[in-house]
Amino acid sequence: MGGGGGSDVKNAVWMRALIMAGIILGVAVVSYVGLGVVVANMKHHTWEEEEIHYDEVKATWQAEVDAGNISSADETNAFYEAKEAAHHHEIEAHLSYLTYRVAGLAVLFVGIIFAAFLSISGILNSSQADEHHDDHHGHDEHEHHGSASPIIFSFGCLLFLLGFPDFADGLHGLMMGSTKGTIGDLAVSMMGLTIVTVGIANWWREDLPFVGYGEQLATSDPFAGQHIRKAGIWVFLMSEVMVFATFFSSYLRMRTEWCTKWAFDDGKCTLDPGENLAMTASDYLRPGGAAGTGDFWTMLPGAVNTFALIISSYTIVLALKIAKSHDYKAPSGFLGSLMPTKKAAIRNYLIITLALGTMFIVLKLVEWSHLIAEGFTIGTEQGSIFYVATGAHGVHVFAGLLVMLYMIFKADTVEWSEENAQGIEYFGLYWHFVDLAWVVIFPAFYLY
Amino acid sequence: MGEHKLYWGKDIYFWNFIVLMIFTLFEVGAVFFEEIPGTDIPVSLTAVWGILIIVGIVKGFGIGAFFMHLWDDPRIYLRVALLPTVFVLLMLWGIGLSNPEGVTGLPGWCTPNWDSLVTER
Repeated sequence: MGGGGGSDVKNAVWMRALIMAGIILGVAVVSYVGLGVVVANMKHHTWEEEEIHYDEVKATWQAEVDAGNISSADETNAFYEAKEAAHHHEIEAHLSYLTYRVAGLAVLFVGIIFAAFLSISGILNSSQADEHHDDHHGHDEHEHHGSASPIIFSFGCLLFLLGFPDFADGLHGLMMGSTKGTIGDLAVSMMGLTIVTVGIANWWREDLPFVGYGEQLATSDPFAGQHIRKAGIWVFLMSEVMVFATFFSSYLRMRTEWCTKWAFDDGKCTLDPGENLAMTASDYLRPGGAAGTGDFWTMLPGAVNTFALIISSYTIVLALKIAKSHDYKAPSGFLGSLMPTKKAAIRNYLIITLALGTMFIVLKLVEWSHLIAEGFTIGTEQGSIFYVATGAHGVHVFAGLLVMLYMIFKADTVEWSEENAQGIEYFGLYWHFVDLAWVVIFPAFYLY
Repeated sequence: MGEHKLYWGKDIYFWNFIVLMIFTLFEVGAVFFEEIPGTDIPVSLTAVWGILIIVGIVKGFGIGAFFMHLWDDPRIYLRVALLPTVFVLLMLWGIGLSNPEGVTGLPGWCTPNWDSLVTER
């Protein structure tokens, strides 16, 4: 696979991938030790103290009930109020511990994947001889830029999904301490993941030297004259719209039959004796929600994530704008010291986008851990559609982050220019789509 | 590309970003407050629905038109982007029809006139 015309990328350049992987892994380990171990252990200690305090206050309340001084149904006496306050503090301490523990683990997990992705692709590419391309093909718009990588990648995905039910069973068995039949359970999916990795590494090898010459144009309607890759990404995005529309329509269909607090208060449904209100995620997160757990802080991760995605959409637009600019002028002040050159500006805007996307994943996992701790699990109808829809969106964000790693690497080595800026543009379309999907998911699942 | 036209010294991307941020604040605020701040007027379910849908449309337009360049790009991309809308609308219609409320509870404009399809002998 020629990968189109391009500049020569020396194998030594691939060492930068290993250096970047090392930096990312280092940051992840330090973050994990700081958040997930040191702070989390302090929070765990506080949680244990609150648990002991709650047990003591509860025992005191129980003793008063047993002595007949107060009624167990009386919720106005000081003993009951002290017990409830202690219970509230215990829950708060548990959630606080979960926040740091999950955040630390999430950063470590994401960092390991990022580092593995960078280093595996780097090593695979280093094992090949340098290819010498003629960098001056002329601007032939019809030069071949075909690749087998998407087919390899798709085949890997197929195998991974085929084996996924067994894979999930195998992972569950491993977590439960059983190793019986684990290899067989994991085999098909692991083979799929290996092929996916090979496909990505090959894709990377082909595209890295690509400096923009040879962008293939469509020759027939309805895309005649348009760049084939751009048409392709739009068609891909529209298939993604259907994926998310399926989740959304499932949610709407189920939601019309749920008797939620909002529907109940509006007189849209009634409850039979013994029947409870249907609890959605927003009932746990939103102030005034039926679960009674929602306040400013439970809303915060979702709201911050919404702003993070919008800001990241803007930063990738800025990276594209600079890549397409003829004459880059460094801004004045602090921003100028961060972005002194065109190369640094593009790379750093992409790094900011990566950091915001990573924060999105970490906050989402923290939020999930809180919801699960409060009893909103995937075992309910409401939990099932919530975790599947927001999880699918999270997977899209994560896949985008892996591509972003490559974009940053290319920004640091081959560099983005007016000639090859369409790479940022096409990836930007995907990233904006992920933002757009969140525009629908956030109000539907978190606010309503 | 929208960076060539400047409005008050900034390009369209910047202003689009500002509008998206403001509308997101509005969206979160609509749900965060149970009453309109400074009044005793409760924020009803219908009001929340309305605000979320309007904000969603504005944000969707801002991202699609300017960040995804549909405003300036050849119209074929807009047509491609609108194609799934047909299927999504069909899906929503299907939800209405498959809902127990679909027979009697939904407005007539979203259900077909089944009576006209009855075979008369």
